[in-house]
Amino acid sequence: MAEIQLKNVSKRWGNFVAVDAFDLAIADEEFLVLLGPSGCGKTTTMRMIAGLEEITDGEIFIGERLVNRLEPKDRDIAMVFQSYGLYPTMSVYENIRFPLKVRRVAKDEHHERVMRAAKMVELTDFLERRPAELSGGQRQRVALARAIVRQPTVFLMDEPLSNLDAKLRVSTRSQIKNLHHELRTTTIYVTHDQIEAMTLADRVVVMNKGVVQQVGTPLEIYDRPANTFVAGFIGSPAMNLIDGTIGDGVFTGQNVTIKGLPATVSGPVTLGFRAEDAAARPDGGGEIAAPIFSLELLGEASMVTVQAGGALVAVKVPKDFAAEIGSAFSAAVPAGICHLFDAESGKRIAV
Amino acid sequence: MPHRTFIWFILPSALAMLIFIALPIVSILVQSLFVENERVLVTVENCGPFGCQKEVRVDAQATAALQREHPLGRFNGLGTYGNRSHLAFSEIAAIWNARPTLAGFLSEVMTLPFYRALAFTLAYTAVVTPLVIALGFFIALAVDALPRMVKGPVIFMSLLPMMITPLIGSLVLFWMIDSNGIIGASIQALANDPSLSLKASATLAWITLFVYGIWHSAPFAFVVFYAGLQTVPQDTMESAMIDGASRWERVRYVVLPHLSPLVVFVALIQLMDNFRVFEPIVGFSAQANATSLSFNIYNDLRSTGTPLFGSAAATSVLTLAGVALLLTPVLVRTWRDFKRSR
Amino acid sequence: MTAKTRRRPPVLAVLSTAFIVLWLVLAAFPFLWTLWGSFKVQGDFFSRQDWVNALTGVHTIAETGGPFTGRGYYGAWVTKEFWRAAINTGIVTVSVVLISLTFGTLGGYALSRSPHRYAFWILIAALIFRAMPHITLVSGYLLPFFQLNVWGYLTTAIVVLVAINQPFTLWMLHSFFKSIPKDLDESAMVDGCSRFQAFRMVIIPVMWPGVVTTGLFSFLLAYNDFAVTATLLTQDNQTMVPKIASFLGTTQVQGNVMYAVSAVVSATVPLFLLVLFFQRQIVSGLTAGAVKG
Repeated sequence: MAEIQLKNVSKRWGNFVAVDAFDLAIADEEFLVLLGPSGCGKTTTMRMIAGLEEITDGEIFIGERLVNRLEPKDRDIAMVFQSYGLYPTMSVYENIRFPLKVRRVAKDEHHERVMRAAKMVELTDFLERRPAELSGGQRQRVALARAIVRQPTVFLMDEPLSNLDAKLRVSTRSQIKNLHHELRTTTIYVTHDQIEAMTLADRVVVMNKGVVQQVGTPLEIYDRPANTFVAGFIGSPAMNLIDGTIGDGVFTGQNVTIKGLPATVSGPVTLGFRAEDAAARPDGGGEIAAPIFSLELLGEASMVTVQAGGALVAVKVPKDFAAEIGSAFSAAVPAGICHLFDAESGKRIAV
Repeated sequence: MPHRTFIWFILPSALAMLIFIALPIVSILVQSLFVENERVLVTVENCGPFGCQKEVRVDAQATAALQREHPLGRFNGLGTYGNRSHLAFSEIAAIWNARPTLAGFLSEVMTLPFYRALAFTLAYTAVVTPLVIALGFFIALAVDALPRMVKGPVIFMSLLPMMITPLIGSLVLFWMIDSNGIIGASIQALANDPSLSLKASATLAWITLFVYGIWHSAPFAFVVFYAGLQTVPQDTMESAMIDGASRWERVRYVVLPHLSPLVVFVALIQLMDNFRVFEPIVGFSAQANATSLSFNIYNDLRSTGTPLFGSAAATSVLTLAGVALLLTPVLVRTWRDFKRSR
Repeated sequence: MTAKTRRRPPVLAVLSTAFIVLWLVLAAFPFLWTLWGSFKVQGDFFSRQDWVNALTGVHTIAETGGPFTGRGYYGAWVTKEFWRAAINTGIVTVSVVLISLTFGTLGGYALSRSPHRYAFWILIAALIFRAMPHITLVSGYLLPFFQLNVWGYLTTAIVVLVAINQPFTLWMLHSFFKSIPKDLDESAMVDGCSRFQAFRMVIIPVMWPGVVTTGLFSFLLAYNDFAVTATLLTQDNQTMVPKIASFLGTTQVQGNVMYAVSAVVSATVPLFLLVLFFQRQIVSGLTAGAVKG
């Protein structure tokens, strides 16, 4: 158990900057999620912590130890890979036992520890099989068992769920959450799926193009996105972002007029609100008025899309809402649900 | 992988290549500047019952001592490159001046050992490479259409000419085309000419060597293309059928483009291998009618008495220059791809 | 391919089958003929009058009393001591294969896992080295080897063949290693292995098919070599191929061509078995370089 510190960590390949000055302290027992689109540097960051990638600049501490120059094997970490990295020539049992074997853990402990790990991930029935004979979900659990069998200081997980189908992903997700609760091991988890991030994380780090965009609890990130990138990445659907100008507390854009915003801001801005915060105004007179572009039934509700402020804007409506595409639609977007971002930099404007 | 780890892993392999491939290149460059020591001659007076005679003899001891002192031989600068066995500048000039017609000039030049070898090497490379590719492609197409059952045995038999030791393969054919061998005798019978021999005429000897080369290498092209055919995208093939492409058009517009990287690969390997042709010449005992650059080097090294190191080295340098020319387009292309991919 | 895209008009099918049959005759007949002929006497195998003699064995019956004779084999193996050459070939090929694979797996692994630019350049250098005609390299060795007094020994030939083999081995193993996911060695390293342990305990067990295939081709190179073994070995240390070549000089004159024919057949048998048992690996090996490299 240990805390991890990254001090100004950077990774460059030639002129290409993969990770730029990553600076973060991860608390002991914390579940930290690195979130971002592919190529944002989240995996590279994790691989630098694991020692699989050389660090161009900066320092990484695990506990009190500076690990920059340490081999992966000396960092006391365990890692679950996206494609699991199981050893195809070994049985499940041997796979799980491998870390104990190469680390020269006393032989008489092996069996008990392998069995305990296998039990935690419900693999006891498959121990004699080869990885090739397992389903995707079972392979995933072998990888998990191999990581927990050694009780390392840190768990690293690189998109461990991305190769599973949607249903398995949900159940494995809760298994991982439960494992962390039981083992209390500091965990760093890389994903591009914001739902995984929201459900698992104590804190989320949102990254884009090698730069940290925002660090915070899932709720903070959902409620107060630091910029348009985070706003557009978090939530399902993501936050509506519309361009327009603000003056005297009134925001105006294509098909949009919102009153009651802070009068301190003026000029071109990007305004954001979440689809579930807005509502339909069947009687008209809402802040957004435009013909319906599309109407989709989601199950528990429906989603109406209209064109406004140069973008497609989604509004959540009750599932029994019925209207023709092209017919007039009006939505209530009160000032209270709106977020304002600088039109140039995309940064959140504090109100 | 950190540099240090990389170095340890690559070291044995890199050292082996450095010492036994890179250094020998330096070695032939140096050797080519020297020629063999002259033998030390002494004049001895031999007095017998019929009076005294003066005789010139080789002083073996002094020669050996000289050899010990200068193992490389005498320094000759670039002289070896210009002599009759190599680029033969003065001979060419003389022929040029004496012979007014181009054909006559060429036929005279072809008597010079280096040009004779160069001509055969180039002809062999130029003839065998495309024919191997074409034959291999057609075999692959035909085998691909066979029922699954017979494919295994067919591939097995097809592989034999390639797997065989080149010298042995050429011997096997050599014995068959012997005027007493099955093919040689049959051809004589067919042509009704008992003096006809595939070995005697230069043209026939060349053709025999070409045929051997194609026979030997076609399986390689076949196997590569056959494997390529297994990965032809079925979607594209089927959409071409739906679009109304004929069988030939499907081969032309779907199969060939799919195989084109493989054609480049086979061509590259074949160019390298054909350019160093030499075992078949030994196997067919064809040196009277056809020699290659590699054969000339071998011949110099095996020459009775002292090996002609300087001469072999000079031919080697010229051969390597040829290889370099051959590889240049490939290297330029690789370099461009590499630049673009970064 | 599916049935539909395969179906061909009958004319084409007949032509293509005829073509294959013709090719198979060209490919396999010389070997069958020589194998058959090696059990005859020279008068039959090189028959002046009629090639049918080689089938019926008129002279063989006349000279030995039976339709088949092992005289050629006796002459080659016993009289001419071909067995020495066979043993030498065994020593050379086995050593070359083992050393080449050891060097090649280490180097090929490093090249496949290094993201650095120099790895690319080493591969290009290997490609250039691959193109060097072997005899030019030999002409570079000969004089220094004489001076250093290492000429003529099997060890020398083995070392040289290993080196000449390296460019090809590196390329082939490199492309096989590339096909093994990096996740595998990385998990091993996180699990507690050093780079070398990961290579030995995790990667090599997975790599066996590739190692076997590359080994086959190393074997072929060493077994089939003529340029190096013919020039770098003394008479006593000769391997099979140069030994056969030297038979030609002597036996042709003495009327003992059948010794050479028998030796040729003997030397072909191992290759034949090799293709028989490792056809799949050979095919995959030939294409590995092409498809991935």
